[in-house]
Amino acid sequence: MNKMVLKALIFTIIAGSFALVGGCKSKNANSADLYGSDNLYGDPLMGDMPLNDTMGLPTDGDRSMFPAVFFAYDSSQVNPEEAGKCEDVASYLKKNGSGGVIVEGHGDERGSREYNLALGERRALAIRDYLISLGVNPAVIQTKSLGEELPENMGHDETAWRMNRRGVFAIY
Amino acid sequence: MKRHWFVVAAFLAGSCVSAPRVIEISKKGEGKISINLSGYRTGNDAASKTFISVLKADLNRSGYFTVSSAGAQMNVAGSCTAGSQMKADVQVYQAATRQRKLGKTYQAPANSARGLAHKVADEIVFAVIGKKGMASGKIAMVGTRTGRKELYICDMDGKNMRQVTKDNSIVVGPRWTPDGKNLTYTSYKRGYPNVFMTGRGKPLSSHGGLNASGAISPNGKSMAVILSKDGNPELYIKSLRTGRLTRLTKSQRYNEADPCWSPDGNHIVFVSDSSGRPQIYIISKNGGKANRVSSSGTESVAPDWGKNGLITYSSRVGGKYKVMIVNPVSRTARQLESDWADYEDPCWAPDGRHIVCSRTANYQSSIYLLDTLKDSPVTLISGSGDWYSPACSP
Repeated sequence: MNKMVLKALIFTIIAGSFALVGGCKSKNANSADLYGSDNLYGDPLMGDMPLNDTMGLPTDGDRSMFPAVFFAYDSSQVNPEEAGKCEDVASYLKKNGSGGVIVEGHGDERGSREYNLALGERRALAIRDYLISLGVNPAVIQTKSLGEELPENMGHDETAWRMNRRGVFAIY
Repeated sequence: MKRHWFVVAAFLAGSCVSAPRVIEISKKGEGKISINLSGYRTGNDAASKTFISVLKADLNRSGYFTVSSAGAQMNVAGSCTAGSQMKADVQVYQAATRQRKLGKTYQAPANSARGLAHKVADEIVFAVIGKKGMASGKIAMVGTRTGRKELYICDMDGKNMRQVTKDNSIVVGPRWTPDGKNLTYTSYKRGYPNVFMTGRGKPLSSHGGLNASGAISPNGKSMAVILSKDGNPELYIKSLRTGRLTRLTKSQRYNEADPCWSPDGNHIVFVSDSSGRPQIYIISKNGGKANRVSSSGTESVAPDWGKNGLITYSSRVGGKYKVMIVNPVSRTARQLESDWADYEDPCWAPDGRHIVCSRTANYQSSIYLLDTLKDSPVTLISGSGDWYSPACSP
């Protein structure tokens, strides 16, 4: 793919994201069949925000300050009833000038480990994007997917799985 | 002029006819060949005894032979002597014709009786059947017996287990380098998920966000990897020489995961949930449109593209994970029959006939060997914690 086409595609994606934020329905004309722009609605993502290099950044934080955000099965959408938890974190981060947060994304044990790593990352990114939309500086939000590797509840039923599909705030 | 046309034709052949060569596995399989080792002379020492018992087990496990003590189709003659060096003189004769199929002497250090037996087993398979055996292969996997998730490797029979990492952290998804000498894997030892290679301190990939599923290309020059540095988990190719990244997928709303190269290095099979559920897709190493290859199951994950041209993956069918095999050219797929347990993370054994996978039953994972022809599954590793995410050496 040459650079012109790439630029056009990036522009289309950005334009598509703005259209989404504006709340009007748009169809991303340039996207391939595989990556159609359906299923966007109700998704709080504002669009892709590049991540900082983690070199030299804290790798851990205090997880006891804010409750976890829970997700539906195989979904990386922040549900309206969970959004308040993110809003509390956003107000805290905006008030505290120094420091930041590592958003840890987790999944339940179903699905492959490597797919769950990607899914956990998307959950963390969805929370990150929501925090950014609430005015938090993107540079102080890192993401860390733990996939299905660190379950909160060691059980193997829906109760356990629901507790394990979560985003955790580690404040530093 | 003529030469020009030839060059153009060669270019077209290389670029357009990109379908990988596929060797079909016959479903019915031929009858097994009986092989008699009772005429093989060994000393009474421990090493010689290990050699002959491992050799017999390997031949039985190969799927091609039945070790029998009388009236066999193949007779193995020769002797094994242990000392400062182990030496195995091996001759294999076809009983009916007295035709010699193999006549060689093999040597190994005194403590390598198992390795020597594996080597001889593969030589016998090749001499008699004409196919590559699997006995000399290695399996890498994740084990939890220390209470942490570390990498381990063992022989193809599940023995000779060694712990590879002491990261004291979490490791995920080992893959062999194409030369079979090292492993790439994801580890949290530096706090964030980065891609590492054994024998190399510095990570191969350590961008912000997720760095996972690093898979070195067959020519060793680049690495397929899942990165989220641009804001979403996507499939990239990283040049190992220059570090340059090429992004292959642009699926802002979806996940990409678990890449594996085609044997010719021109394509990558991976998982995407762009259809709503995770399924298996193939994309050119140059990018472009990805084509879906999995059609059954509510979800399909963990693909492994064998040197035999076939892709094996795990599919959720009727609430359980089953091992699937698909021919990426004809798109014909079949499911390996299995019991009620979950069979995940399948990978091709070096012989292109067997598949190694994890089997989870009663919340315990162990490593199993499945035959794509007719033999029953074999437990390779179980107990002392969970064992999963197996990867077979090339």
